[in-house]
This record gives sequence, structure tokens and C-alpha cells, in this order.
Amino acid sequence: MREITFSEALGEAILEEMERDPTIFTYGEDIAKQGGIFGAYKSLLGKFPDRIFDTPISEEAIYGSALGAALVGMRPVVEFHFADFLFTGIQSITLQIEKIRYMTGGQGKLHLVLRGPDGVAQSAAAQHSESIETIFMHVPGIKIIIPSTPYDMKGLMKTALRSDDPVICFEHKRLYKIKGPVPEEEYLIPFGVADIKREGKDVTVVAMSRMVHESLRAANELEKEGISVEMIDLRTLVPWDKKRVIESVKKTNHLVVAHETWKRAGWGAEIASVVQEEAFDYLDAPILRVGEKNVPMPFSPPLEEFVTPDYKDVIKAIKKVLE
Amino acid sequence: MYEVRMPKFGLTMETGFIEKWFKSEGEKVKKGEPLLEVSSEKITNEVASPVSGTIKKIMGEEGKEYKVGEVIALIEEEGEKEEKKEPVPPKRREERIKISPLARRIAKEMNIDLSKVKGSGPGGRIVKRDLLPFLSASTSLREVTIEKLSGLRKVISERLSKSFHTAVTVTNILEVDFTEFIKKVNETNVSITSGLIFVVSSTLKKFKKFNAHFDGDKLKIYTHVNIGVAVDTERGLIVPVIKNVDSLSLQEINNELKEIASKARSGVLKPEEIRDSTFTITNLGMMATDIFTPVINPPEVAILGIGRIKKGIKIFDNNTLFIRDMGYISLSYDHRVIDGADAAKFLKELANLIENPEI
Repeated sequence: MREITFSEALGEAILEEMERDPTIFTYGEDIAKQGGIFGAYKSLLGKFPDRIFDTPISEEAIYGSALGAALVGMRPVVEFHFADFLFTGIQSITLQIEKIRYMTGGQGKLHLVLRGPDGVAQSAAAQHSESIETIFMHVPGIKIIIPSTPYDMKGLMKTALRSDDPVICFEHKRLYKIKGPVPEEEYLIPFGVADIKREGKDVTVVAMSRMVHESLRAANELEKEGISVEMIDLRTLVPWDKKRVIESVKKTNHLVVAHETWKRAGWGAEIASVVQEEAFDYLDAPILRVGEKNVPMPFSPPLEEFVTPDYKDVIKAIKKVLE
Repeated sequence: MYEVRMPKFGLTMETGFIEKWFKSEGEKVKKGEPLLEVSSEKITNEVASPVSGTIKKIMGEEGKEYKVGEVIALIEEEGEKEEKKEPVPPKRREERIKISPLARRIAKEMNIDLSKVKGSGPGGRIVKRDLLPFLSASTSLREVTIEKLSGLRKVISERLSKSFHTAVTVTNILEVDFTEFIKKVNETNVSITSGLIFVVSSTLKKFKKFNAHFDGDKLKIYTHVNIGVAVDTERGLIVPVIKNVDSLSLQEINNELKEIASKARSGVLKPEEIRDSTFTITNLGMMATDIFTPVINPPEVAILGIGRIKKGIKIFDNNTLFIRDMGYISLSYDHRVIDGADAAKFLKELANLIENPEI
């Protein structure tokens, strides 16, 4: 199978859907001329000039206009430039976008996609390194997709572009350039179906985004020590594949949840809590979480590394849970 | 220990003067009984004992003044002593066992006594691996269907185990040529089992010791022969009894066997129809078994088993070989009362009757 990059997979998904559906248009900061600050739209440069365009730096206006466009039947795809900046226009999202379908009793469809980069990368420091997906998991009303491979990126984005609900997509900055197999023929990935990246019998590791790759590395290292890790990539956080996670925990009896966002009240706590509520009698040890240390991201590279979780933290947690 | 304190008789009273004690150390006192006399500025009062018990110590001396509330005597309350000597252990909850939820569930399911399990997890927590030695029967044994024994199966079970554990069972086996016998029963139109009952009955008349009951003490040898016939039914093995076989013709035996066997299969046998056998025959001739060792039906002393009759080679005295209907008969007997030589003689006689039937 041919291999393409994560950002090429994103571009393909948007382009294919734009060709299929004339109501789709996409805008944001520095995407049309620059191709996105991390190259997400590089493959879209020069395409559909009237449907792919740049906006001034005003998050409130960007998200608010998307809300309006969606309400009159368009399908806007909005780039949020940095996940951190979602907070600057948060009221359009949490007060309006996440509520309209509910408050109109489902009369108003709200097909819009918010997408953009998140995560830690090369000393981007406290205001440009955050992963804030948990916020949107907490406030009901929006679906969350967080792909970790080019294949998932394309399949999930295409599903998002055909959804009647608002969807937010987080793309880790360090993933845009990774390559992976993507079939040429069309496919869609349904929401709420986790991907078992690796089967194992001793411990289940649930992760998303960059931490999927860190967890797989941890699993490979631990295999040499005879520890068999089952690695589950949730792929979508709302809805998340509870069934598959619980089935796996019933098999391995141990669970580690790994995410890049802060450990404190990160979504790993939600997963851990649901699992203990529904599979308590199958747990042989407390569920452990791996996450960022509870501080704003430091600029200093050694400190950034210190604060950010990686495969070593996953190994540590797995060993502790199997103690 | 109860502390007797200087009482307060009025709002203004601050001290009291002990006039006299009515009791001395070591004496018993009842609640309400006068204990001492106290005077304050204005009045003199008798102080009653606030509790029942024994006066252990008197600290307040007669003729001296004490502050209100000061301890002036100690009384050991009734029952206090016993309590002290044998403190009733406070009802404690069972000591908390540190165990993972999974291990707790497994232990409950497998009925494992957790006090015998040592935890190897953090802080001594019992985890699944600590229970593995207790699951020695392997996890494949975990899925079971519990089948409660039916009344009949219970009786079978009890009788067989009694027989197995008390009788000293030995089995002698002999190969027999059934060719003529089968010809004969076919001619007379009776079943093989009926024919066997007939010849066994004749043998028992000759070897009386086999037609008996043994209670571990006395051997009761019976004049008449009552043969129990093991019948396989849907509900299990039943041994209906044909009474006084020795006085019946082969045809009568055949009729009676048919009747009780069908009664056994339809489960309508009366209690007296399964009682008082003196010898038992179990015929597996129609099943896939050549030789088996039957278990004695107590209190009898012997049982005869018939194996499958099939084509086999018989070598005659003149060294000629013939294909004949061959089968094995097994005689299990209680060696406490019957010796091997007797059993061999019994089998020889029986074989002779089978091979040269005069029925």
C-alpha cells in the first residue's frame, strides 16, 4: 500500500469531501497562503481558492462565523492554529456550538469541524504547547477525534465531514510529518471504535495521539522482558470505546491510561473511573495514569522533556501496575 | 473503679468535713447504703454510696476537711473485678485483608481461604498470581455443572462404596465357549440372561457358600436362590430380584425376568422386588466389554459378570482350531469368606454347564 504523511492524509480527506460536497469550505489563520503553520494544508495550496482562505487573527470571529455558516446549512472547517487559542474564542464553542443542536431540540443541524494542532513541540512554551481535549470531553455537545496515524486521520476526518454534529479534531504537531499506509480507495472510520494496536495479556494501555506511539515503543521494550502489553488507541474521545477497553481489562486485569495532557483531571481519570465502576472485580491492581506534570509548559528544553510524558513513563507505570 | 468525691450540699459549699466513715476498706457496700457523714458550715449529712461494690481505698480521713469534688474513696464496682481479669475481647471486625478486587472475586468463586494466602503485591496485597497455587486443578475445571445425586444414584453410590470399602474383593476370570449355549437358548426361545440365571442357580445349589450373606461376623447360607439381575435403566442401575429361582423352570425364569426388567425400566418396581437377593448376575454381553470386574452387591458374597460374547478361536484337545462364540465370565467374591480355589471350582462348574447345556 502507498504511504503518505499525516498532513497529506488530512489534505486528501478535505479535498475529497470538498469535491463531493459543495457546502464545505475551510478557513483560518495562515492556511491558504502558507499551508498551515505546521504544514497541515501544504497539499491544499492553490486548490479551491474561493473555498480555502485566510482570516484575520480573531478567534471569536472565526468560531462565531463558523457557527453562523453551519446554521444556514454550510459545512465550515475551521483551523484553530494552536489548540491553546481555543480559549480565546471559547464562548462561541462551549456556549453556542455545543448547545444549539440540543436547545433547538435537534431542529438545527450543526455540521462544522474545528481542527488544528496541539501538543508539545520544540520549546513552544506555555502558550503554544497545550493539549486541552479534556475540556471538550467535559462540556457535552461536541465530538472529539484525535487521530494518531495517517490512516486514522483520513478516515476519521471524512466521517467528521459527513456528520451532522459539531466535531473537534486535535492533530499533534509532531505527527504531521509521520508516514503511514493509506489506501487509495475511499474508506471511513466510524466514531467510537477503538483500534487495538497490539494484542497482549498482562496489561492494557489506553492512549491517544502521540502517546500511542510512545506506548507502542514501551510495549516493544517490555516485550523483551516478557511483559505482554495490549495497546488500545481510542481514536475518538467523545464517544470513546468503553466496551473494547473493558473487554481488554477483563482479559489483562491491569490498566494504564497514558495521555500527553496534564495528569490532574485529564481524561485518563474519566477512563479509569468508568473502568473501576464497571469492571472493579476484574482489577488486580489500581489503575495508573500517565500524564503531563501539573505545570504550564516550560520553555527550557530539558524542563520541557522533564514535564512531558514519554515511553519511559509508560514503562514505569506498567511495571508499577504489575508489581 | 468508682471515685467517691466530696459532695456539694449547697451552692456556697466549697469544702466538707469528714465526720466519720460507716464502712472501712475491704468492706462491701450497696448502692444507697450510708457510706460516710460529712458536715459543712451549717449541716451534717449522711452520704449514701453512689454504687454497689467493695471499698478499695479510703483517702479522706475522719476529722479532716476536703474540697468539693476531691476524691475521698475508691469503690470497685460489682462485676468490675471479673471484667478486669478476663476482659471480654471487644468484638472486632475480621482483620482487613489487603487484596485486589480481582483476587477477591476469584477467591470467593473458588472458595479459597484467604487466611492461608500470602500477598506478594505492593504492601502485601493479595493479587491474582498469589491464588494460582490454589487453583491447581487448572482453570479448565472452573466451568462445572453441579449435578445433585438422585435418590437412586445415592443408594447405588452408598452400596457400592460400602462394598468397595468392606469386602475384600477378588475377581477370577474364565474364558467360556458359548456356542452350544446360545444354540440352546435360541431353540428354547429364552434370553441368554435367563439361561445364565438357570445355570448359575444350579451351580449355587452345589456351591452353597456363594449363595449367602456376610455381615462381617456370620455367614448366612441360604437354601433358596434369589438372583439379583443388574438392569441398566435411564435412571441408573437397578437390581431387581427373581425369587426362588431354584424352583423355577427356565421358561418361568424367562417370563419373570422379562417382567421385572420391564418394570425396572419403567420405574414401577415394588420395594420387595429389589430386596433379598442372595447372588447377583450382571450381564454386559450386549455391550462393548470383554472382561470386567463387578463389585459385590452387599451383603452378598459374590457376583457374576458376563462379558461380550464374540467370535473367537477355541483350541480343542486334538489341537484343532475352531471359530466359536467365546466370552469371559468373571466371578468377584469376598475373600474374607471365600477362597480362590472355591471360586475356580465354581467357575469350572458353571463353564461346564454353559458348554454342555442340558437346559
